[in-house]
Amino acid sequence: MIRVKNLTVSFGGKTAVNGIDFEINKGEIVGVVGESGSGKSVTALSIMGLLSDEADICGGDVYFEETALLENGRKAEDSVYRTFRGNMISMIFQEPMTSLNPTKRVGAQVAEMLRLHTDTHKDEIRGRVCETFLSVGLKDPDELYDKYPHELSGGMRQRVMIAMGIICKPALIIADEPTTALDVTVQNQIIALLKRICSENTIGLLFITHDLNLAKRICNRVLVMKDGIIVEQGATKDIFEDPRNEYTKRLIEAVPSRIHKKDRGKPGKENVLSVSELNVFYRDGGNSLFSGKSLRHIIKDVSFEIKRGEILGLVGESGCGKTTLSKAVLGLNKNYTGKVEHFSEYPQMIFQDPYSSLNPTKTVGWLLMEPLRAKADQKPGVRYSAEDIRSAAYDMLKKVELSEDTFRKYPAQLSGGQRQRVSIGQALITHPSLVIADEPVSALDVTIQAQIMELMLKLKEDMALSYLFISHDINVVYQMCDRIMVMKSGEIVETGDTREIYESPREEYTRLLLAES
Amino acid sequence: MKIRGILKNKYLLTGAGMTFIILFAALLSVFWTPYSTTAMSISERFAAPSPRHLFGTDNFGRDIFSRVMCGIGSTVLISFMIVAISATAGILIGAFTGYFGGILDEIVMRITDAINGFPSILLALVVISILGPGRHNLIVSLGIAFVPSYVRIVRGEFIRLRDADYIMRAKLMGVSKLRILFVHILPNIFSTFWVSVMIGFNNGILAESGMSYLGIGVQPPDATLGNMLSDAQGYLTRAPWYAIAPGLTIVWIVLGFSIFSEGVRREAERKGQYDKG
Repeated sequence: MIRVKNLTVSFGGKTAVNGIDFEINKGEIVGVVGESGSGKSVTALSIMGLLSDEADICGGDVYFEETALLENGRKAEDSVYRTFRGNMISMIFQEPMTSLNPTKRVGAQVAEMLRLHTDTHKDEIRGRVCETFLSVGLKDPDELYDKYPHELSGGMRQRVMIAMGIICKPALIIADEPTTALDVTVQNQIIALLKRICSENTIGLLFITHDLNLAKRICNRVLVMKDGIIVEQGATKDIFEDPRNEYTKRLIEAVPSRIHKKDRGKPGKENVLSVSELNVFYRDGGNSLFSGKSLRHIIKDVSFEIKRGEILGLVGESGCGKTTLSKAVLGLNKNYTGKVEHFSEYPQMIFQDPYSSLNPTKTVGWLLMEPLRAKADQKPGVRYSAEDIRSAAYDMLKKVELSEDTFRKYPAQLSGGQRQRVSIGQALITHPSLVIADEPVSALDVTIQAQIMELMLKLKEDMALSYLFISHDINVVYQMCDRIMVMKSGEIVETGDTREIYESPREEYTRLLLAES
Repeated sequence: MKIRGILKNKYLLTGAGMTFIILFAALLSVFWTPYSTTAMSISERFAAPSPRHLFGTDNFGRDIFSRVMCGIGSTVLISFMIVAISATAGILIGAFTGYFGGILDEIVMRITDAINGFPSILLALVVISILGPGRHNLIVSLGIAFVPSYVRIVRGEFIRLRDADYIMRAKLMGVSKLRILFVHILPNIFSTFWVSVMIGFNNGILAESGMSYLGIGVQPPDATLGNMLSDAQGYLTRAPWYAIAPGLTIVWIVLGFSIFSEGVRREAERKGQYDKG
């Protein structure tokens, strides 16, 4: 149905996509997997003719059935694209938050597709939209029609996006990481929905993802991309069970699974943290003078402790209070009751997003030295000479396996994985006993993810650390943690040894979470 | 990449060039002007621009080119002082209110709202009517009048950044509050702040010209671009060059600074310290 031949796209002389060939047949689900920067999205955008002006299409053809959308690197007329976009090919984006217009009612936004691409009569439009809402599993479509995007949950927004994508009965849907921004349970529903819709209406689907597990579950065929080249393509089963290419093998191995888990030494006896009957509140409306001071009860009666050398996992879906809990434990949120006892100095935190957790105006060296300067300021007894601090920073660089010239670089010059290493270094340089890691690998590519997890485990041994490891990724938690707490709406529903929880979960909710991936 | 790089440099180069000419003229005027700025010559009243008098002469037969050269100096200096006062106050007030919030923030913001309720020129007029006219009072009054605009910008940026992950982390390290404010956060608002400083600089030039035009700024016989414009208005039909020369100079300065500031902003962005996301 759609054929892509020898497509090459570059940005300012740097090749992003280098001569790729593939086709998608009617009703087929084709996955494109690869790490960030591999050219997945660029491929999708060039099929849609939506590349920005900076992109330079150097060559290649894209045919949709008999129509050329791109021939010898020359784009078809805009009018050709317009009849195709939305009508024959539609696109679903990653972020349902930003791809819907916040000022327009969702019904009207979906209806606009019909108005632009079909000559459906005005009176029928609303009916058609509501029908589509129903078919993507949205309840009460009539009520939903008049709502604004901010009134919907992430999952509902993504369903609206899908409704928008299928309402004109296209032949092909391009979905660019459609579930990455969603929780696991919601993610699953959306995947099932996409699969059902495609088979019911024989719609082809180009499914772009960095998550190999997802591709495995939904796709008929998979393309593996690296540095703008398709390194391997074939039926999903063949690729996953018998990968030929070296890179594909590495990619599949890097995915955290529940199969291999190394045995580790037992954690010590003494506590580094003990929390009892902790209740945390969140103040609504910021700290303005006139807004009401209503407190929302986020964390309800949570008690736990962490032993020296232990990795305690905290899992749960977004909004269940994981981050709120960690902030209260660290004393960044003072609105709590209950007892938090630290048996060590300077607990530190590693954040999820390596792009926002490093001050962009400072060099890596400055960032690594700052915790020591702060420590020297706090304690009158502690004195470090400038030379001590500098050499400690260089030591830390070595420990997190970064080269020495990183010292003078700015965070913007580093990759995501390198930044996360700096972030870890910054947290560890004061030798804390406890580190709270809030989704430390969720924003990273799989191969980088594996490296960072390994680094964290190595440093744990070297520096006698304990981690409170927060994650939504069940498999990552399985790999990392000695013990697991499952959290739901601010309450701990289940705690136990990692293996026990995975093999025989007691709670229904835990079972649901585990079944997801 | 390449084309964009050149474009960026173009902003910086053009702006710097235009500004340099202005500053050079101002500096030169301290040591040398073609004619004395106060030397009158009855026989040469309202001489049209010629090689002898590049910009012509005014109603007292003074050389307009020389007076513009001196005028640039006072105008730019006054504007610089205005920005220095208002930006410094703006950073201090905005940083504290934005970061700490609470009742202090509420009070300060209502005061700035009240100040914003008046046109800033009008406010400066009130201050001057209390302090009396003159160069220093002009600087102080306009400096105060421009504070609220900086407070708003700085405060907004501090509110945006106070919950950033890297600030949370600085708190965890136990970095002192003052250091968080001025070492950790302040450099991050540079690109936003720089734009408002440059706009403020241009506003300062225009405001000084306006005040001097009203006769309450720098007093004659000292030349500023504003009071030259003010003098010229009576002779607009007889000697149009009298108004055109200082007028175009103001346009030139403002334009030069605007282009220059745009260039600096782009350069900072390119350096990668201020990446998006």
